[in-house]
Amino acid sequence: MLRAMLRRLMLSVLIIFLVAVFVFLATEVLPGDALDVYLSEDDVAAMSAEDIEKKRRELGLDVPAPVRFFTWFGKAIVGDFGTTIVDDIPVTEIIVNPLLNSLLLGGVITAITIPVAFLIGAGAGYWRGRRPDAVISTASIIGYSIPDFVIGMVLIIVFAVWIPLFPAVITIFNDAPASALLAVSLLPAATVIIGHVAHLSRLLRAGFIEAMNSDYVERARLSGIPEFRIVLRHVLPASVIPTLNAMALYAAGVLSGLIVVEKVFGYPGLGVELIKAVDTREVHVVQAIAFLGAVLVVFMNLLADLAIIALDPRVRSHVSQQ
Amino acid sequence: MSASSSRAIQVLTHSPGTMIGVVLVMLHLAVAVFAPLLIPYGETQLVGAPLLAPGHPDFLLGTDAIGRDYFSRLLMGGRTSITVAMVGVLGAVLFATLIGVSAAYIGGLYDDVVMRIVDTKLSMPGILFVSLFVIGFGRSVVVLTIVIGISYFPGAVRTIRAQALTQVPLDYVKAARLRGESALSVILRELTPNVAEVVVVEFAIRTSSAILIVSALSFLGLGISPPTPDWGLMVSESVNQIYAAPWLVLLPAAFISSLVVGLNFASDGLANALGLDAARGLHRS
Repeated sequence: MLRAMLRRLMLSVLIIFLVAVFVFLATEVLPGDALDVYLSEDDVAAMSAEDIEKKRRELGLDVPAPVRFFTWFGKAIVGDFGTTIVDDIPVTEIIVNPLLNSLLLGGVITAITIPVAFLIGAGAGYWRGRRPDAVISTASIIGYSIPDFVIGMVLIIVFAVWIPLFPAVITIFNDAPASALLAVSLLPAATVIIGHVAHLSRLLRAGFIEAMNSDYVERARLSGIPEFRIVLRHVLPASVIPTLNAMALYAAGVLSGLIVVEKVFGYPGLGVELIKAVDTREVHVVQAIAFLGAVLVVFMNLLADLAIIALDPRVRSHVSQQ
Repeated sequence: MSASSSRAIQVLTHSPGTMIGVVLVMLHLAVAVFAPLLIPYGETQLVGAPLLAPGHPDFLLGTDAIGRDYFSRLLMGGRTSITVAMVGVLGAVLFATLIGVSAAYIGGLYDDVVMRIVDTKLSMPGILFVSLFVIGFGRSVVVLTIVIGISYFPGAVRTIRAQALTQVPLDYVKAARLRGESALSVILRELTPNVAEVVVVEFAIRTSSAILIVSALSFLGLGISPPTPDWGLMVSESVNQIYAAPWLVLLPAAFISSLVVGLNFASDGLANALGLDAARGLHRS
C-alpha cells in the first residue's frame, strides 16, 4: 500500500512539473516572440530597435527558453512568480489576498455543496428509476445546464433590483476581513452552489447505484437484513469509494468555477484578478494563477486517490501490480 | 449498429425530457442556420432610439443601449459560439478517437505518455487553461476554436481509451491480429467502429459544455469580441442596464440557457438509449 501511495505521489510531482512546462510554453514559447506577449503592439511600434533590445535584456528574454523555464520554475515552486511588468510589484503580493478570498468562498461553497449533493444523490440512487429519481435527474440537468453568469444575473435582478435586499455589486477591498467577505458572499455562493449541487449529486447518484448493485449489498439483502439497515450499514460505506472519485472530479472544478461568479458580483478573488491580468497583459500574474490553480487540482486529486488506495483493497492490489 | 440506432430512436422519442431536448436543439440549430434570412435589421446596425422596450411596433424585442434591434441580435447571437463549440469539439473528438484507441491497443510507453499529457491538461480546468492562450495568442475566433479543441481533447481521449480498453481483449480483435491485420488496420477498422457510440455521446456532451465555456468566456471579455452579437457578451454588455432594462440581460440569458438545457437533455437521452452513463464523462467547466 505504501508503495502504491508513493507511486501516486511521484505521479503528482511529475504532473506539476508538466503543468509548469505547459504554462511556460503557452505564454512564452509558442506565441513566437515573448516580447509581443509582454508588450502591446503599440508599445513595440513606438520603440526603436535599441529600446527593444534593451527591454528584452531587462526582461531577461535574451536568455534561451529552456534556461528561462528552469529559472522561472525554480522560483515558482518556492512561491516567487516574479514582478508585474508595469509597476514592478511582486506577483505574490498581488495574488495572496485574492487567493485567500477565493479559498474562503470556495470553502463555504464546498461545505454546503457536499452534504446537500450527497443527500440528493443518495436519494436519487435509492429510488432509481422511480418518480423522485426522475424529478431529481430532470432538475439536476437543468441546474448544470444554466450558465453561472445567468444564475448570478437572475439572482441580482430578483434580489437586488426587484426586491432590494442586497447591493447589485460588491464594493469591498481585497484585504477586507473574513467576516466582511462572508457577509457579501451569500448571493455568489448561492449562484455556484446551484450548479455544483446539480453536478455533484449526479456523479454521486452513479456512485450510489454502483454501491447498491455490489455483491456485498446483494448478500446483505439476501440474508434478510431490513432495507434501512442495509442502506445505513452497507450501501453508504460501500458508496464511499465511488463518492471519493466523484469528489476528485468535482474538486477540479471548484476554483475555475469561481472565476465567472466573482466577475458577476465583483467579489475580490483570484478570478477577478485573473481577468484583470489578462486585460492588462500581466503575464507573470496569469502564469502564477494558472499554475497555482493547477497545483490545487493536482493536490485535491492526490488526496482523493490516496484515500481510495487506503480504503479499497482491489485498487490497492491493482495499483501495486502496475 | 442498426439495431442499436433504431433502439436509440425509440428511446429518444419515448422520454419526454429527451423529446423536449431534441426539439429545443433543432429549433436553435434552425434559427442559427436561417437567422440571416429571418432578421428584420442588420444585427450591428443602429436602427432606432436606444433602450426601447419589447413590444414596440417596429422592434419586436426593443432595442439595446445604443439602438440596435434586439430581436435581430438575439437570433444572430448563437451562431458564432455554436460554430466555435461544434467545430472545436468535433476536431477534438475525432483526433481523440485516433489517439485514445491507439493508446489502448498499443499500450506501453506510448500509452503512458498520452495519459500523462491528458492528466496535465485535466489539472488545468476550463477558463484557467483558456486564459493562458488568450494572453499568449490574443483573441480571435480561430484561436478560440483551436483552444476549445485542445481543451476537450484530453477528456475525450480518457473516455474513448477506457472504452477501447474493454474491446482490446475481445476475440474479434485477436482474430483480426491472427489474420495478419496491421496495427493501423485493427485500430481503424476493428476497434474504432466499436467505440463509435461512445464517440457520438462524447461529442454531444462536450459540445454543450463547450457552448457554456465559450459563452462564459465572452461574458468575461475573453471570448467573442464586439460588435459581433453573442449571448454571453450581450449579457455582460447589458449589466449596466439591469435597473432600467432588465430584459436586455434576461433575453440572451434565456436563449443560451434553453440551448444548453436542450443539448443536455438530448445527450442524456442519447447516452441512456445507448446504455452509457452520461454523468461519468460530465465536466462542468
